[in-house]
Amino acid sequence: MLSFRLRFKASLPQNLSKILKLFATRSNILETNSNESEQFRVLDLYPQTKVMQEKRKTRKTSIPPSRATNMPTDQDWPSVWPGARTFHPASVPLPLRQGYQEKGASPNKYANAELMKIPNFLHLTPPAIQRHCEALKQFCTKWPTVLENEEICSKHFPIEIISSDYCYSSPTIRDPLARIVNLQVKLSSLYLDTHAKDKLLRLLGNKYNPETDIITITADRCPLRKQNLEYAWYLLMAVYHESWRVESWEAEKSIADMEYFDWDTSQSRTSLVTLYTWPIPPTDYDYEIIPHATEYKIAVSDLINNGEDQYSVNKYKEAVKNLLNLKCDNKE
Amino acid sequence: MANPPHYLAHRKSWNSWNTSNVKDGNRPSETAVEDMFIRQFMRGTWHNLFVSEVIIKRQHNIIRIAGIITRSIAPYKIYFLTGYTEELLSYWLQCPIKIELVTTDSKKDVVFKYI
Repeated sequence: MLSFRLRFKASLPQNLSKILKLFATRSNILETNSNESEQFRVLDLYPQTKVMQEKRKTRKTSIPPSRATNMPTDQDWPSVWPGARTFHPASVPLPLRQGYQEKGASPNKYANAELMKIPNFLHLTPPAIQRHCEALKQFCTKWPTVLENEEICSKHFPIEIISSDYCYSSPTIRDPLARIVNLQVKLSSLYLDTHAKDKLLRLLGNKYNPETDIITITADRCPLRKQNLEYAWYLLMAVYHESWRVESWEAEKSIADMEYFDWDTSQSRTSLVTLYTWPIPPTDYDYEIIPHATEYKIAVSDLINNGEDQYSVNKYKEAVKNLLNLKCDNKE
Repeated sequence: MANPPHYLAHRKSWNSWNTSNVKDGNRPSETAVEDMFIRQFMRGTWHNLFVSEVIIKRQHNIIRIAGIITRSIAPYKIYFLTGYTEELLSYWLQCPIKIELVTTDSKKDVVFKYI
């Protein structure tokens, strides 16, 4: 019994409550009184054997010194870093720093997440790009020697087709905007006469830019680029042939329907020629033989087409004076 | 991590790099959900190893998953986990996956500030 007590005392922590202590002692006494000879089971209220927490072993792996420390200075960098890759401190022999610290300098390259986040161009050094170009040269053809400058190019290849490709960082290579096709052609490169040109511009509307003389046809109604390109070709062809076609109703256009003053078909020309050949009625309305007739023609056309202002009125005045062979004061 | 989000692009950088969130970028929601899935998967597969955030960078159809891990497990296990993660994620996401990790000795190497 003494031994039990001693044992309990040894096992009891310092701050144990009294009630628990009493209870433990009494139970021991009872047990020892009933049968002393036998070996009793021990009531271990506070087991001595501590269950040792299996602590996770931190494995020490022997790491060789980083590769960056013993790199030669004249090494071939594009073969060290051949492709796009996340930054790795052991492969880059540069004293880089990135990030923010409250006090002190920015953190260095080892175990630096900020350096790993930003995209790097370590694989696109000038020697690497030069090698890419050298490797791609075998797939290129020579530029035609005849096409020396931009003007000759646009003369031989008047049609320009513009479409866009889109690169995304996603597994899909499709983009709906890639279907749009722009077809550009200079109006001057098309073979047109006066009527056809006039009709073409009416058909095109705002597709024609008078400042740059370029017709732009945009096709985006089909789902694929090829279809849109074919549609743009079709539109150009259709509008060209339609402009050459003369419909029967186009002959019904009278002077009142004209959108500009055409002196060659006007009453002014008839009157001038009749006046010049008077009293003989004119056989043909050829105004070239009349002196100063061309000047008069230009002055009248300008006055009516461009509107009245001081300059055009004065020009008209001089033209009439010359035409009628009146004495004019050029000194004024 | 010690910097709140308004310090993004001032003191720290984004953990996801892609073109889905630029103006008129395509499939932004799919990318966000995929990134969430990748982060969960990495956290579970590389259990208790990552000491930095999981960085997901997308480059055309490649997804690069980067981060800093501790050297607390044997190197051959890291090789296995790398291959396992690349294989499974590329099967689910239907595009090439690259795991680009940097190891460090202890977690304290990446701690700059105790809050």
